[in-house]
Amino acid sequence: MSSKISVRQICFIMLIYTAVSKFILYPTQLSAESGRDLLFSALINFALQGAFVWAVSFLCSRTDKTFFALIEGTLGNIVARIVYGLFALFFIVCTIIPLFEQKLYVHAIFYDTIPSLLIFLPIFFFTVYAAYKGFENIGRCADICLPLFLLSMLLIFVMSLHEVRWDNFLPVFKQPSKVFQSSLASACRFAEPAFLLMFMGHFKYEKGDAAKITLSYIGGAVFVMLVLAAFYGIYGDLAQSRQFAISKISLFFPAIELLGRIDLIALYVLEIVMLFALVLNIQLAVHCIECCTGYKNRAVLSVAINAAFLIFIIVFDNNFNAINTIWSKWMWIVFLIFANAVPLSGWLMRRKND
Amino acid sequence: MVTLEKNIKSVKDKLPSEDIIVFEFDSLSGKRFAAIYADGIADKQLLGELVAKPLRAAKSDEKLEDIKKLLASPEVKDGGKIEDAVKEISDGNAVLFVDEEKEFFIIGLKNPPGRTVAEPPTQVAIKGPREGFTEDIKTNLGLVRKRLKSEKLHVKTLKSGKQSDTSVAIIYIEGVCPEGLPERIEREIASKQIDIVPDSSYISQFISKKPRSLFKRNGTAEKPDVFCAKISEGRVGIIVDGSPIALTVPYMIVEDFQTVEDYYQVSYRSTVLRILRLVSLVIGVFLPAFYVSAQLFKIQLIPYRLLLKISSSVSGLALSPSVEMFLTLFLLEVLIEASIRMPKYVGLAMSVVGALVLGDTAVQAGIISTPAIIIIAFSAICLFTTPDLVETTTTLRWVYLIIGGSLGPFGVVLFTAFLICYLVSEQTYGVPLFAPFAPLIKSDLHDSMVKANMYSLKTRPEVFKAKNKVRVKNK
Repeated sequence: MSSKISVRQICFIMLIYTAVSKFILYPTQLSAESGRDLLFSALINFALQGAFVWAVSFLCSRTDKTFFALIEGTLGNIVARIVYGLFALFFIVCTIIPLFEQKLYVHAIFYDTIPSLLIFLPIFFFTVYAAYKGFENIGRCADICLPLFLLSMLLIFVMSLHEVRWDNFLPVFKQPSKVFQSSLASACRFAEPAFLLMFMGHFKYEKGDAAKITLSYIGGAVFVMLVLAAFYGIYGDLAQSRQFAISKISLFFPAIELLGRIDLIALYVLEIVMLFALVLNIQLAVHCIECCTGYKNRAVLSVAINAAFLIFIIVFDNNFNAINTIWSKWMWIVFLIFANAVPLSGWLMRRKND
Repeated sequence: MVTLEKNIKSVKDKLPSEDIIVFEFDSLSGKRFAAIYADGIADKQLLGELVAKPLRAAKSDEKLEDIKKLLASPEVKDGGKIEDAVKEISDGNAVLFVDEEKEFFIIGLKNPPGRTVAEPPTQVAIKGPREGFTEDIKTNLGLVRKRLKSEKLHVKTLKSGKQSDTSVAIIYIEGVCPEGLPERIEREIASKQIDIVPDSSYISQFISKKPRSLFKRNGTAEKPDVFCAKISEGRVGIIVDGSPIALTVPYMIVEDFQTVEDYYQVSYRSTVLRILRLVSLVIGVFLPAFYVSAQLFKIQLIPYRLLLKISSSVSGLALSPSVEMFLTLFLLEVLIEASIRMPKYVGLAMSVVGALVLGDTAVQAGIISTPAIIIIAFSAICLFTTPDLVETTTTLRWVYLIIGGSLGPFGVVLFTAFLICYLVSEQTYGVPLFAPFAPLIKSDLHDSMVKANMYSLKTRPEVFKAKNKVRVKNK
């Protein structure tokens, strides 16, 4: 077994990429759909996905095969290739919403006036390069991202938490049905068990690692909950009309008048982490296509996938709301299959393999 | 029978230069000798004292083995081929031919002109040893031996450069340095054919897998104490004849944030200074780009009161912020370059012209603003806190300035992410450039940006995978 990535690095990925991918429009979406109960809505998703993360990491303790080898051993090479082809599509689907979010977020926090789309397009130079790199690079980037993430989050929380009005959350459970509805609608933002499934067999499992990975995921969830709490606690019912939550929560820090928007420095540092979180999906898509087709030139695959994204973002530049609606309404089924059902099937396949 | 004249002619045919001196003399018994050496790099006085004097005094007709015993020099080797003689003479040694003998003696009299051991100007230390390497490889090896008396210290010498035939010494401690690494380096150097090797920077490119990279691939040391410390951690050292800068491999970027004094002072202070260097480097590289992009794309980044000051300074400026900053940085680079190249006696005049005339007048004429000068000056000072990285960081500052001026802060962030992605995957001889941060090696963090107490540094850096891991052992 090749250990290209370590358990520590997977833990970091679970902690930081889980969190940063939900800082931009997820809080606004939850505020709009479940109001003051947004924390419960998020809790349901995190609890469910956390259980699946634990299940997959526990599966890693039972076999040292990759998921591809597991399918191949049970259902044959053709099926394994088809499944990985579908997973590649899934990771491409996973990238679309974060990519659009990134575009809007970049325009909002990096520029005073909304710039041309051209300003955002150089991101593809980065994604092409990063996606061409393998698992080893993913892990090492996570190592670097952890201190950047912790420092920027510390600064943002210091600047925001004192403004939180906790009474904004009361009374709780006014409309319980909405809590579940918004959980379902935001399910298309949770694909962590699928990420972990792709890392399976690429790291050396040691006793207790499943707990470490799950705890890291919970850590990431805690960060998201804190941002959600700060966001709704500061804005209350107005939160649903405020986009880019992470950039809005530290606005009222008194020292900003004297020091300038120092929160922007933290947000820019956090943006580096967000870029790596975004590119993880594309890296995994490249990996899946590589396994599916057997074509080993990652550079070509990376260029091809990113070219598709580039065309997509140019064509649908002004259609984010429509895409978001489609994703919220229908895509939860796809996420349920690939992030939850397929990983669970790994357990059955392992038994058959044995 | 080979006559003395024939031997001399063979050498002179190959080395016809006038500075190749032939010194012929006879013993009391009438035996004829000829010592051939290169004027200026061989020690004539020693030749007289240790070779000519005892041989002249010889009374009987000695055999070759007995002649060797008469030679008082501690470094005498036998030679047989004329090519070897030519090589040794070019290297600074003397060759002694005996009449009617084909074989000859090579006498180690190499004494090229050179500096004495002095404190290197680029690695000045308030505390700690002040000796620095010189251009002479033998002196440098002596300085290393003086500090590392271990029987495990190995020195392998080889030659590089078709014309210069420069000596290169590969130094390592057996059992401490990664297995097979010295051999790999030796192969890399031997496989490269070039005319001359005037400096260790040539060897640095030979041993680098990516010689075109903007980032360094090996460490440097100008002081023997630093060099020995690095070797004892598990690195391989390379000393090149003619260069006062020794190389060390494998290399990690974190090395350049460490200075020799960090190890001679209180560890807390060293930690603070290392973090200060990192912060300074970040400020030095990003500040000009950040200032330009803030002015052009995100004015909120600048505090309100400071913004008022800046706006009063820049109002009426003819140039855009990015062109203004570009011009100021260009001016600074020209001043630095000129101050290094210019004779010292013109230096004062140039400071006046550069700082006062150009700087002050340019501000008054409304070509550049005061904040731009302050930012560029501060950035330059910051970058010089890590002098070993200056070549890289000054180039990066230009790149960031161009990106910041054209794409704004997002471009700066994007390029930083790209750099991180690039650097974490780079490695020198199997050691990641970003170690011990990526991949994170907990035990090696004790001597990274943090400098732990000497007793906490019990093991050698794990990243080198040394057999002998223990560094500090309390009895």
